[in-house]
Amino acid sequence: MIPINDFLVLSAILFSLGMYGVLARRSAVLILMSVELMLQAVSINFITFAVYLSPEQFTGVIFALFVITVAAAEVGLALAIILRLYRNKQTANVDEADIMKW
Amino acid sequence: MQDAWLMPAIPGAAFVILLLFGKYLPRKGDWLSIAAMAASFVIFFPVLADLLDKVDTEGFTGGGKSWEWISFDTFTIRLGFFTDQITIVMLGVVSFVALMVQVYSVGYMKGDSRYGWYFTCMSLFAASMLTLVLADNLLLLYAGWEAVGFCSFLLIGFWWEKRSAAEAAKKAFITTRIGDVGFLIGIIMLWKQAGTFDISDIFQFAAAGGYDSTYLTAAVLFLFAGAVGKSGQFPLHVWLPDAMEGPTPVSALIHAATMVVAGVYMVARMFPLFQLADPVALDVVLGLGLTTVVLSATMGLVATDIKRVIAYSTLNSLGLMFVALGAGSTTGAMFYLFVHGFFKALLFLASGSVIHATDRQDINDLGGLAAKMPLTAAVFGIGTLSMIGIVPLSGFWAKDEILHSARDAESAIIYVIVLASVAVTALYMTRLYVRTFFFQPRDRQAREHAHDAPLLMSAPLLLLAALTLVSGFLVFDGVGEALGFPGGIGKFVFAEEAEAFKFSWEVALASTAVALGGLLAGFAIWQEDAQPAKRLGERFRPVYELLFHRYYVDEVYQWAINHIVLFAGSVLAWFDRNIVNDTGVDGSAGLTYLSGFQMKFLETGKLPNYALAISLGVIVIAILFLVLKA
Repeated sequence: MIPINDFLVLSAILFSLGMYGVLARRSAVLILMSVELMLQAVSINFITFAVYLSPEQFTGVIFALFVITVAAAEVGLALAIILRLYRNKQTANVDEADIMKW
Repeated sequence: MQDAWLMPAIPGAAFVILLLFGKYLPRKGDWLSIAAMAASFVIFFPVLADLLDKVDTEGFTGGGKSWEWISFDTFTIRLGFFTDQITIVMLGVVSFVALMVQVYSVGYMKGDSRYGWYFTCMSLFAASMLTLVLADNLLLLYAGWEAVGFCSFLLIGFWWEKRSAAEAAKKAFITTRIGDVGFLIGIIMLWKQAGTFDISDIFQFAAAGGYDSTYLTAAVLFLFAGAVGKSGQFPLHVWLPDAMEGPTPVSALIHAATMVVAGVYMVARMFPLFQLADPVALDVVLGLGLTTVVLSATMGLVATDIKRVIAYSTLNSLGLMFVALGAGSTTGAMFYLFVHGFFKALLFLASGSVIHATDRQDINDLGGLAAKMPLTAAVFGIGTLSMIGIVPLSGFWAKDEILHSARDAESAIIYVIVLASVAVTALYMTRLYVRTFFFQPRDRQAREHAHDAPLLMSAPLLLLAALTLVSGFLVFDGVGEALGFPGGIGKFVFAEEAEAFKFSWEVALASTAVALGGLLAGFAIWQEDAQPAKRLGERFRPVYELLFHRYYVDEVYQWAINHIVLFAGSVLAWFDRNIVNDTGVDGSAGLTYLSGFQMKFLETGKLPNYALAISLGVIVIAILFLVLKA
């Protein structure tokens, strides 16, 4: 059997990649994709622990399904916002959307 | 006696109605105030009859009615009204003089812009004064005590558009407050040991030796401080002459017949405590009374305002009452209080008629009014002679009692001083009368339109004059007996004293001699244009200056206020402004504002910054979590 650590490391790498993307990218679409990466890293964690720690229960697996569903809904919403942003500013660069402040 | 509480309650109800609806009542409600006062006076008689009925029963110490007022678990304060023999004297004086003064006021205050407000205040005053008199516990007494002080403040400053009146009202209020603080401390001291405010319970507690002697002495001296303020004794006498800024009927009622004698009444009421305390307490009463007598009598010699002279004579009388109390004679004090109420109110109301008729109140502008105002001159004369103490007017008999107790006091000096004050009193009262009513008028215009007051104002004068003539005869046991008092007024009111009223030819002759001497000297000095008086004034210039400046007491107080009170005040004001306000209140607000202002620049509006902040925050929390868990 594949040791649990391999899955956790994979999850951590994915999460870090996603975080890097969120922090480093300026394009709203890429940021959104990076957020998806982070979410899937979490999903992997859920499934790993579900399989390894309590195989008789499905809690973790169901959670992963939830995460996927919610992520899909969230992407729909976020893409709509990005679309509005692009319509207004002719760009999807988040650096230029900075008027929500004092 | 059960119904005695109605006496303050009726004017109190009238006050409430006048305050709320006075404007809409016909004649602004003066009739309501007078009717309430008359009802109160009428109730006095059944109360008196009831007291006369019950006074013979064994162990009678007065009676009344009380309700629960404030109640805690184990401690209740009752709202009680209590009548006994001393109370009844005061009740009679207060209700009668208040009625007379209110009737007189209808004429005197006619056309005043605050006519309705005047009667509203008068009703409140009557209610509070009667509450003070009837209170069966110290707390209610204190409430009445402060309420009359407040009414006095309102009425002295009745014409507050006049700056001097507003200042006088403030002065009266603050000066009496100084004494009142002492009074309150005394009440709290008495309560602290006895656990009750009820006066008769406190007496029982004290009689059983519940108080330590020194403690009791301190407590009664604090009580006396209240009397010093209210009754204008040295060194708090300064407010009374200034209080003459109020309307003259107010001076007659509040600053002659009723409120200012509240101090005497309170000391007389609490007298058992003064007797149980160290003799020093009564010596203080005597000493301050004597000082006031000397100061006021001499200051009366040079005052030129007709009302101020009478105010000094009031101080003089109050001093005499305290001398009597200090010498251990409540009889003398209360009897003098009784007759003084009538003749001093008479003097004030008569002087009010003079002021009303001439619009002048400086005696240097008056003179020669006897021909124009015969009735006023006659009743004023009766009042003057009574104040001087000429037989057979009431003042003579009452002053005689006080001279008696002064003679029986430890030191002969006291008797001599009181006798001398009788002479000085005769001197300045004669001066006042002669300068007002005799010889050539100094201001002809003033005399031109002078006339006697209309019937409504004259009737109270005549009634008071009649009482001034006859009330002194109550000293004779036969007269009291005939009026239904068993064993005469003296035995009735002052049952605890062996011989209530005393009389001896020696004292009577001595007092008559000095009074007549003063009277004749007064005539000689102030005849025609008062040349002898002017010469005396020149000859004894420093003395004249001293008296004219009222012994510089006011100046000393002014200096103390300017240099001590205002300095302390400015220090506190500085502390308040800089430390409390600027640093404490404004400082914390400024700190919040400033930090908020600086913090808002952390919000850049840029998404990556927020994302970084969130990430770092999560990392920091994670590290903290690990560290703390380890």
